[in-house]
Amino acid sequence: MSNETYSSSTRIFKDLLDEIGKVVVGQHEAVEQMMIAILCNSHALVESNPGLAKTLTISTISKALDLKFNRIQCTPDLMPSDITGTYIIEDVGGKKQYRFEPGPVFANIVLADEINRASPKTQSAMLEAMQEKQVTVGNKTYLLDKPFFILATQNPIEMEGTYPLPEAQLDRFLLKILMDYPTFEDENEIVNRYTKNITPAVRSVVSKAEVLELQKLTRDVPIAEDIKIRAIKIVEATRAKNDNIEYGASPRASIGIILAGKARALMKGRNYVSKEDIDAMAYPVLRHRVILTFEAERKGMTTDQVIADILKNVK
Amino acid sequence: MEDFLYKLQKIRDGFFSRKRLTFFLDLIAIFSIFYAIFIIVNLEYLLSKSSIPSSIPINFIPPAVAIIIALITSTLLHNRDTKINVIRLIENKYPELKERLSTAYDNRDESNIIVDSLKTFVSESMTSVSPSMLLSKGIIISKIMITVIFLAGMAYISLNPQGIQISQSTLDNVTKNITGQDQNNTGLIDITGRPEDVINVAAKGSGDIFGKPKIASIEGKNIDLTLYPGDNTGTIVKDYTPTSNQFIKSAAFPVDVMGSNVSDGGYSMLMTKTETEKQLINKYAVERSKI
Repeated sequence: MSNETYSSSTRIFKDLLDEIGKVVVGQHEAVEQMMIAILCNSHALVESNPGLAKTLTISTISKALDLKFNRIQCTPDLMPSDITGTYIIEDVGGKKQYRFEPGPVFANIVLADEINRASPKTQSAMLEAMQEKQVTVGNKTYLLDKPFFILATQNPIEMEGTYPLPEAQLDRFLLKILMDYPTFEDENEIVNRYTKNITPAVRSVVSKAEVLELQKLTRDVPIAEDIKIRAIKIVEATRAKNDNIEYGASPRASIGIILAGKARALMKGRNYVSKEDIDAMAYPVLRHRVILTFEAERKGMTTDQVIADILKNVK
Repeated sequence: MEDFLYKLQKIRDGFFSRKRLTFFLDLIAIFSIFYAIFIIVNLEYLLSKSSIPSSIPINFIPPAVAIIIALITSTLLHNRDTKINVIRLIENKYPELKERLSTAYDNRDESNIIVDSLKTFVSESMTSVSPSMLLSKGIIISKIMITVIFLAGMAYISLNPQGIQISQSTLDNVTKNITGQDQNNTGLIDITGRPEDVINVAAKGSGDIFGKPKIASIEGKNIDLTLYPGDNTGTIVKDYTPTSNQFIKSAAFPVDVMGSNVSDGGYSMLMTKTETEKQLINKYAVERSKI
């Protein structure tokens, strides 16, 4: 099975991107990074302004991957049980008994829209599910289906009435993906596609089993020692004395960069991790793990600029 | 052993054997240069003048020193040869192997479908890799040519040193200039006069009896006026004042050269002269005393 999946992986990714491209115009980098997060069996946080097709992108990916998709719209009154599920009393043959009703987290791909609007208690419940890939209700633990991927979104504007995710919880997201406004040409294409009666349809190109195989294959991609060392040095540099960085990234970031590099290599049809993969993945892996100093923020610097400086200086 | 590792080992062996060859070529070239320099500066002669024990054969020293210098220089030049990363060299020369070879090498003990496919690709690509591409034939040939030229130059100089080699007399002069002393200088000076033209000297009234010994032409006859000081008895002139050149005439010391503070050695030398010469010297001294 592995052999077949590996030999057809190039075709699988091409078909997948083509299929997603039928619905999602542009946003190639964001789509690629979402796929990488899925291949790494991890989760991603998307930050973008409203109306940039976050939900459309992730639902399209789930359709193309033939995976169960659920969406949770986070609000301040959202309770943990609204996510994890709860016991309900039902009548079976004249006898009343409890039955567990799974929440929306019981899916393969979950979109937690505007996660920072949920209360910390609810955020914790979701993040526990992300980490443990299981849900405990009462005294019973329910395993989540595999693959399990949460794509949480945040709105960079309208911060009023939100509960920003603590750094420790942000660290659990492998990638922070930025979605920007489309180019003029892309926007023109979006308008053309979505102002007609025909809605683009997506067909499933990969089975769930193949997704699991691809996740396994991702970890098999070999990496050279010097490239691995470079990834660690990049993360280490965020912790070194730097006027622009208040707090650096944890070793989880080193694992993240290498793993994401492996997934990117597999997606690009390479059987080895290149320096280019590490450099490309350093941005989404580190951007939510590096906290800038007040001085850097005052100067209008972004985490991506600081990461670019680090990449330039690390040999 | 993996096929690509076997190929890599072969390439590595080939590369380092070429590196060893360049080491020996550099060694020979540097030896030739230094040995030729030693011949030109006549190091053998200089060493013979130094206080090297006679038990050491001097003619072996220049080539031995040249070999030592060549060995040290070549070793320094090729010091980092063993640290050369052949994998990195191959990757730079063969872009299709870039990052692949090092990844395959670092994961040589791993085995899975992706690593195996990488190893297979690397192994196939390495068929075209040759050590001559890592250290080009051009470099080796130019090194051989340079070495041959230096070697021939050294052979020519050692066989025909005339005209190229610095003469012994030049070396002596150089030595004298460097040390500030004549090789035969005992540190004493003669106090004999140098009246090359005694009449003119007398007329000018500026002559003296100090200076290098010369032949005095007195009454048409050349007289060697050299007065050699005796062993450890020479007079060292420290505070010379011309007014002290006065002969003191007395019964014990008649007016003669003896009266001019001639050393014992100088006096005994005077005594070896013939009577005619003595008279002429005496006459000269008398004339000098009148100045």
